[in-house]
Amino acid sequence: MSNNTSVVKNAVCTFCGCVCDDMELTVDLDEKRITKAKNACVLGRAWFYEHKIENYPVALIDGKEASLEEAVDEAARILVNAKFPAIYGLSDTTCEAQKEAVAIADYINGNIDTTTSVCHGPTGMAFQGVGESTASLGEIKNRADFVMYWGGNPAEAHPRHFQRYAVSPKGLHIPNGKEDRTIVMVDVRTTQSASVADIFLKVKPGRDFELLWALRALVKGAALDSSVEETTGIPLDTMKDLVERMKSCQFGVIFFGMGLTMTRGRHFNAGALLALATDLNDYTHFVALPTRGHGNVTGADNVVSWQTGYPFGISFNRGYPRFNPGEFTTADVLARGEIDALCVIASDPGSNFSKKAIEHLRAIPVITLDPKPTVTSQLARVAFTTATYGINVRGTVYRMDNVPLTTRPAFESPFPSDQDVLSAIKERVCELRGLKHASNRMTRQTAKVAV
Amino acid sequence: MKLRLHTTPEVPLEAEVISPDALQGLSESEAALLPIYHGNRKVGLGEFFEISGRVDESEGVVEVEGDLSRVKLIGHSMSAGRLVIHGSVGAHLGASMKGGEIHVSGDAADWVGREMSGGRIVIQGNAGHMVGSAVRGSSAGVQGGEIIIHGNALNEVGNGMRRGLIAVGGNTHDFTGVNMLAGTIVVLGRLGMRPGAGMVRGSIVAMERTECLPTFTYNSTIQPDFIRFYLFHLRKLGMSIKDEFINGQYERWSGDSLELNKGEILMYAG
Repeated sequence: MSNNTSVVKNAVCTFCGCVCDDMELTVDLDEKRITKAKNACVLGRAWFYEHKIENYPVALIDGKEASLEEAVDEAARILVNAKFPAIYGLSDTTCEAQKEAVAIADYINGNIDTTTSVCHGPTGMAFQGVGESTASLGEIKNRADFVMYWGGNPAEAHPRHFQRYAVSPKGLHIPNGKEDRTIVMVDVRTTQSASVADIFLKVKPGRDFELLWALRALVKGAALDSSVEETTGIPLDTMKDLVERMKSCQFGVIFFGMGLTMTRGRHFNAGALLALATDLNDYTHFVALPTRGHGNVTGADNVVSWQTGYPFGISFNRGYPRFNPGEFTTADVLARGEIDALCVIASDPGSNFSKKAIEHLRAIPVITLDPKPTVTSQLARVAFTTATYGINVRGTVYRMDNVPLTTRPAFESPFPSDQDVLSAIKERVCELRGLKHASNRMTRQTAKVAV
Repeated sequence: MKLRLHTTPEVPLEAEVISPDALQGLSESEAALLPIYHGNRKVGLGEFFEISGRVDESEGVVEVEGDLSRVKLIGHSMSAGRLVIHGSVGAHLGASMKGGEIHVSGDAADWVGREMSGGRIVIQGNAGHMVGSAVRGSSAGVQGGEIIIHGNALNEVGNGMRRGLIAVGGNTHDFTGVNMLAGTIVVLGRLGMRPGAGMVRGSIVAMERTECLPTFTYNSTIQPDFIRFYLFHLRKLGMSIKDEFINGQYERWSGDSLELNKGEILMYAG
């Protein structure tokens, strides 16, 4: 370790959706690496300590080293020539880069989709159908005396969620921390998280919807068949006790994860949970929040929503946005062999999509933007190496409760940011298509205002 | 008029102009110029289809041939005439249809007759998800008309259905009649999980017993006249209906108690 170090206070960890903004990073400026990450959890420490600037080429075309300009040109040509191009990923990059990606999708009349479609996409669909009663994590910390986790394992997936936001912290109206809260965990198996729970409900696999429906019936005083005990594996008395606790709390919250949204019933499971939170508002204040995985997947939902009106699974093929999960979501258009080009930003579908989808991925030109080589980047026609957001790139990220935070980079990277590359691709796309690009339009509008 | 797919599209086509309404009165060359979308490219119908004849004024028949599994939106907003498809067809067949009849000899993809308000769609083979459903974000699905699937259908048949009839000769997957407002769904085979979740009114009839949600309660075993009428009607339309279904008893379960509890699931009980 050299003596040339610096300390970045209140740095933001962008590893998971908790987006903790109280990191204190000690940086070795000569070696360009982080030597200490105070306050970071086990996942955050790995995220910071394992980050090194590697000697990768800035861009590859067909596996051969290329200049940034050549790669930008090739990427733009692929996207402009495609009849059904798609842009995917975006959950591990800044909002500024996400904005550029939406603009490209618009200019190339392609699809825009994010990793939301394979995690909390069903939640996005349920928001449309049921609505959302929500709160910030700060409000929850200060007020929530009933905290429920459904289908998630924060102890391993969001290690600081308990300690920083919802279980143990002392809040304005929760002076004794965990003692003042009732913690309930619902899952199909006993995870590491279960040990913090005052009440653990082990629901039969694939029966979350029935349990939620039964709880709703108890809250609303509606008829309920006693077969529900056998179906869900939870005694009726336990459900009744739980509902009484929910109705009599001061401020209740349900956090839910992919154990709910990605099991049989998907958007209806998420919808049932959101509806339960809504029903409980007849008795007390109750909110529900998805526990989001990637550092800025919430930002992706926000940016794509404010720019297109929809959160994911969008097609611009007719020049205006159309939303239809299943029809326009990337995993589906790949599996059906429909798209003819794909641009992947900060994601690796080549390693986690279905076999059919990956087969098609291998058959079409792919563009990747990623700080490290991935399975997808190794299949790509054009692969860019970009700087890591949060650690090397300043920008905006959204915490899982939709609170935007600005990252404080630890040191500079020799690689361009996703935003730089996407912006260059956008400009080249506009040139190739003979369009006036966004920045020109902005200049014209500004000029008008000035006159 | 006859249309034959002469070139397989590289990416899906969106061809709502393939409907008697849009093709009526057009010559072959005029029809060839009607716009369709090949991915993000607007091209003429003639680039993919060989067109022959004209749509006759009395019957308004349009026949389509070829592998249409990548052609979406056929018969969109159709209001009259007859569309005969020899083969299988892509998504959104007969979406927002108002009248007339569509007949498909093969299978159909997702979203058959979504938000239709009149007319009849007959699929000889299987259908995908969302038959007669509401589009995402909308609360009302089919407002009228009939959808007859001789084979099986997947999830969310009749999601948000408000009026009309959907009949499935085989089985359906999960959430049949979810959020149904009214109308009738008849399934000659088995319903998937969670039929009628969130239904307000309406009837779901099935010939095999399925587990109901805990918010449905058993009322009685009855022989409702309306089932006989519906089954005779479906038999006339070419569905194979056993006599015992027409003369049989049905268990009536009412729900969803989270809503008005005025919906019903009727399951054949012998």
